[in-house]
Amino acid sequence: MSEATHSAQSRKMREGTWRDMMLANGSVVSIALFFLVVCIIFSVATNAFLTSPNLLNILRQSSPLLIVAAAMTFVITTGGIDLSVGSVLALVATLSATLLQLGLPWPAVILAMLALGALLGAVQGYFVAYEGIPAFIVTLAGLSVIRGVALLITGGYSIPVEPGSPFTVIGRAWFLGVPVPALIALVILAIAYLAFNETPFGRYVTGIGANAEAVRRAGVNTRLMTLFVYVISAAAAALAGIIIAARLGSGSSNAGQGFELEVIAAVVLGGTSLFGGRGTIVGTVLGALTVAIIGNGLILAHLSPFLTPIVTGTIILIAIWLNFRLFRGAVRSR
Amino acid sequence: MSSGETYRVRMSGISKRYNAIQTLDDVSLTLKPGEVLGLVGDNGAGKSTLSKVLSGAVIPDAGTIEIDGMPVTFSSPADSRAARVEMVYQDLSLCDTVDVAGNLFLGREPRRRIAGISFLDKKRMHEQTRQMLDRLGIVIADTRLKVENLSGGQRQSIAIGRAASFEPSVLIMDEPTAALAVAEVEAVLDLIRTVSARGVSVILITHRLQDLFLVCDRIQVMYEGRNVAERLIGETNIEDVVNLIVGRKFNARSATNRHRDGAPA
Repeated sequence: MSEATHSAQSRKMREGTWRDMMLANGSVVSIALFFLVVCIIFSVATNAFLTSPNLLNILRQSSPLLIVAAAMTFVITTGGIDLSVGSVLALVATLSATLLQLGLPWPAVILAMLALGALLGAVQGYFVAYEGIPAFIVTLAGLSVIRGVALLITGGYSIPVEPGSPFTVIGRAWFLGVPVPALIALVILAIAYLAFNETPFGRYVTGIGANAEAVRRAGVNTRLMTLFVYVISAAAAALAGIIIAARLGSGSSNAGQGFELEVIAAVVLGGTSLFGGRGTIVGTVLGALTVAIIGNGLILAHLSPFLTPIVTGTIILIAIWLNFRLFRGAVRSR
Repeated sequence: MSSGETYRVRMSGISKRYNAIQTLDDVSLTLKPGEVLGLVGDNGAGKSTLSKVLSGAVIPDAGTIEIDGMPVTFSSPADSRAARVEMVYQDLSLCDTVDVAGNLFLGREPRRRIAGISFLDKKRMHEQTRQMLDRLGIVIADTRLKVENLSGGQRQSIAIGRAASFEPSVLIMDEPTAALAVAEVEAVLDLIRTVSARGVSVILITHRLQDLFLVCDRIQVMYEGRNVAERLIGETNIEDVVNLIVGRKFNARSATNRHRDGAPA
């Protein structure tokens, strides 16, 4: 609320401010409630859930999801979408295993894979931003082509990474009592939060989703910004692919099947609007963790893991519905 | 094309043809410092095209533009902005989900560098926004409000305030009072007066003729791509202007109804 005492400030306006706060944070509030409810249910229902090994395990397993969902928040906030992240993840996982087998040093492999991700993102971003083809179509084509390349390279087999290779540290090691993938995710999330909320770039991402023409008229290179969000998401997917290959000790061309939908679910659950213009990194983190906890908790509760998609889907619908009814926030038609 | 005159803007012989349609035909326009010029005409009369020529969005086939006596050629909006001509577009160019301060500073946010990375200086941005709004008499409770939660008049004020904050010498406004509530029209007209009192020359395009008589010093009437008349505001009335706009003599009922709004005949 404004502390500024303005004589002309009417009561109606103050209510507006309060309502605006609710609107701005309503989506985060509702996913936070769901997150707490899910945590409480599994804490009560199982003994193993609320133990630090299990919580760290959840963080370790969900780090690829957290990383890519944070990047996807940028894409969706511009009003776009990136369906190719699962395929990029698979291609990077297989290629990094292949390159390690060929004897390339692991730092070179990581750099090459991140560069490959950025390049794939730049190609897709070019078609979206400069050629004006809808992001859904461009990245759907990307999803198909990139997965196809991964399958072609491996012939459908998974490629092992030598167990002693320092590469596996990225996926398996612990540092200061925390799994390394979780630390990587934490760093990425912090960067994403700062970039989204505190930098001109984040501001323009939101602006492009709200009114791209206004941002363009303000002298911002909106096409380059749009291209760049796809570079970010594909590079994040590449990082996730590296982490998964390192954790599993192999690169499979079937890795990350349906990963893009899991990522989009986490972002939307967090309250980012698919229409663009509204995004929240905090919401995305809560959304991703909620999805991860449901999967983990159902297994601990000795329920069928196949319930996970059912529960996740139901919660997405209910959360968005609550958001729409109670807060009229994220999905309000504009 | 002498430069001895004190004109802020002097456009002459401006022509523009779109295929078969001569949108502008040898149009001229002059504007003095601090003057408010009402540019009126029916739909398709060419007033929007003329204003876009001045704002660099449309490149004319022929004609010259002088700003403060200096000949200029605008090939993009950036050129005209560099010559301190700002335009408030009819669709406002605001980002709904960005706050008031963010919209005012869109594209030129105050920044502070930390470890070589530039971050938004939000504190400074909100302080400067508050000062800017106060200076222009724009009433908005909180600069953190998102623009989507503002009224039409407040949104218009933000758009004008944004243009005014570039310290322009010429400000073009396309239908700033269309679709506003009555009380809000007053606020926007006040804002136009405030801006022009600061020495900014204003070109006001409007269909609300009664507004012309409240803020304009002079009216220029266009008809089918040509200048047809120019009137000082004290020397005309609404009926006269309506007749000039429709291009024939007829006793406009819409004008007589609003006659009391008009200037002395």
